[in-house]
Amino acid sequence: MLEYRTQGYNGYSVKYSPFFDSRIAVASSANFGLVGNGRLYILGLTPNGIVAEKWFDTQDSLFDTAWSEAHENQLLAASGDGSIKLFDITLSEFPIQSWQEHSREVFAVHWNLVAKDTFLSSSWDGTIKIWNPNASASLTTLPTHSCTYSAAYSPHSPSILSSVSSDSHLRIFDLRTPASASNHLTLNIPIHTPPKPRMGAAASVGVPPSEALTHDWNKYRDTVIATAGVDRLIRTFDIRAPGAGPIAVLPGHEYAVRRVTWSPHLSDILLSASYDMTCRVWTDGSAMGVGSMKQENMLQQDPMVYGGGRQMGSMGRHTEFATGVDWCLFGAEGWCASTGWDERVLVWDCRAIMGP
Amino acid sequence: MANQTGKTSQAQERLSQVSSHLSGPSSGKKGRPALLEKHGDDVVVTCALRTAITKGGKGGFKDTASADLLVGALKALISRSGIDPSLVEDIAVGTVLAPGGGATEFRAAALAAGFPVTASVKGLNRQCSSGLQACVDIANAIKSGMIEIGIGAGAESMSTQYGPQAVTEFSELLESHKEAANCKVPMGVLSEAMAKQKGIPRKDQDAFAASSFQKAVAAQKAGLFDEEIAPLEVKYTDPKTDEEKTITVSRDDGVREGITAESLAKIRPAFSKDGSIHAGNASQISDGAAAVLLMKRSTALRLNQPILGKFVQASVVGVPPLMMGVGPAAAIPVVLQKTGLDKKDVDIWEINEAFASQCLYCIKELGIDEKKINPKGGAIAFGHPLGVTGARQVSTLLYELRRRGERVGVTSMCIGTGMGMAAVWVAE
Repeated sequence: MLEYRTQGYNGYSVKYSPFFDSRIAVASSANFGLVGNGRLYILGLTPNGIVAEKWFDTQDSLFDTAWSEAHENQLLAASGDGSIKLFDITLSEFPIQSWQEHSREVFAVHWNLVAKDTFLSSSWDGTIKIWNPNASASLTTLPTHSCTYSAAYSPHSPSILSSVSSDSHLRIFDLRTPASASNHLTLNIPIHTPPKPRMGAAASVGVPPSEALTHDWNKYRDTVIATAGVDRLIRTFDIRAPGAGPIAVLPGHEYAVRRVTWSPHLSDILLSASYDMTCRVWTDGSAMGVGSMKQENMLQQDPMVYGGGRQMGSMGRHTEFATGVDWCLFGAEGWCASTGWDERVLVWDCRAIMGP
Repeated sequence: MANQTGKTSQAQERLSQVSSHLSGPSSGKKGRPALLEKHGDDVVVTCALRTAITKGGKGGFKDTASADLLVGALKALISRSGIDPSLVEDIAVGTVLAPGGGATEFRAAALAAGFPVTASVKGLNRQCSSGLQACVDIANAIKSGMIEIGIGAGAESMSTQYGPQAVTEFSELLESHKEAANCKVPMGVLSEAMAKQKGIPRKDQDAFAASSFQKAVAAQKAGLFDEEIAPLEVKYTDPKTDEEKTITVSRDDGVREGITAESLAKIRPAFSKDGSIHAGNASQISDGAAAVLLMKRSTALRLNQPILGKFVQASVVGVPPLMMGVGPAAAIPVVLQKTGLDKKDVDIWEINEAFASQCLYCIKELGIDEKKINPKGGAIAFGHPLGVTGARQVSTLLYELRRRGERVGVTSMCIGTGMGMAAVWVAE
């Protein structure tokens, strides 16, 4: 396990470069992101451990970052003052572009993985905005009317994007639909829908809605999305059957989940980071032979454990809230990086923490 | 300056956003492990005590008014807990016999005990569970945010207030309704009928009653009541000499040594010739008071109050008036279900011994291990001052759980006119 200390700055998000296997960006904030400066670290993985290649200081806290899919030296930062900044790491100090439209904290930025000429942002002001890095104003604004902690493009389509927000809903927008009264909104799935009752188990009782903090698109199954949040559960949904409730429910985290991310290598593997200071690896049970339903004691099973998924390992080295985690896209299929409020970035191989 | 204020409120908003992430629905844990978790918003007991319980008509408190007993308990609560009386916002006092629910004299008693005029007071009456209802009312008021610190109490002087005046004459309308009319059938008579109907033989009742006495004698000798009893100085008229003197009462005087099932077998039944209930296997008529100081855990930590245990959940259930004795058997499963507890998760059961017959029936019906029931004896041995019992059980339970290093306890009682109440407590 490699470690880097973001002295004086509490980590909020970590992202591997899509171009280099040795480059990581970390969005961090002084004073736990409550008040004060932000700092965007560019870290290099070298034979001598992790070194800071560069950092950019900002006036307000930084809550998320995203690498440009088009340019290997550019990346975005989401700021607490409502601005989005584009930095070029070959330049020093100042961003090459800054957009100020959101009226409150920007909590997510995500680059379009297919079209590569647009990116999006979501904010506590209840909107998602679509941007082109060459345009000075946003292209589109999509209202959610609810503090939107996470928004992302589908990795399979240039015009489909999704969000989760504090109203406990997963929204899917399709920009190809006419911008009618629904503002491109095509699906609005209540995350707290209990899973379908199954034979031999008591029906799960209703779950109260709770804030959804994070979600991610599966990289192999283009209709599968994982969500997680304050109710400590990770769920997966198939957007082909929006009314059917979750297809997998994964309980285990002891506090709210801040980040989930699907493996770029394996279609059933998820990684999560939580306020309970752990990062955990999960299978959603969709891969053959993994986590099959135990027939003999079906009656004893927790009705919320659904879909045969299970936790495969837990990394407990963070000593404060774990807030960000991301997979390395290159090389062996288990490397990942995590960050948290303990001012640390950890780079580790999740195969080392997985049980049998 | 304006900018400064903006920054502060923004930081405040971000902080509350993060704290709302943490305070989401309670953890996935259920049942006993979930109850043993400590949370800032738990309602905790930081002090629980009672006066001694003395025999009605001849015990140490026979000449003491119930409000005076309450003054004694509240004074002791202030001095033992070290709580600043001006922080206490509400005091609920359970009582059954006091006319008008004791509303006037209990408010006066709180003032006399040293509480400022800002501490509000109510008297309440849910028959034999009044003391528990008082604690639950205060706990719920704290949970809902209506108050921050409160006292659940009970006070009863059966010596001075027991008698027919405690019940209003039934109207014709009530008398003409069968189930309604059943509400005024005397306890003894209906318990006798229930013992017969449920087949609880006198032999078993006497054995249970004798063991209550034996447990209480042993507990008294071992000093197990010392922590919970606050000694009280009162005036007492000697019945022999008519001389009024001041005595200090610190001991339950209803507890008698040398009682066995055989000695109880000699007593004549009280309610019918072929009956099974008598003075020795029913609860005693008694005087006393008890008080429980409740607040949120976060408040207790802030004020440096020692935490004795926490209140978890209560249930109240109605049963047929003539079957009032089955109350605990009806209320306990409900509270266990609400808390996700199994009956084997409970370490001590304090089930009020109104009558040996009904208590035995409930134990059998629920399938509880008899060793875990009332380990220091119960109302048969030291008395059942009606409105006090529910609050008294809290101190009896929490100190015993702590002494044994056990955690989860249930208090419960049957309620006249056909109800049952139960509550789950966790000692710390």
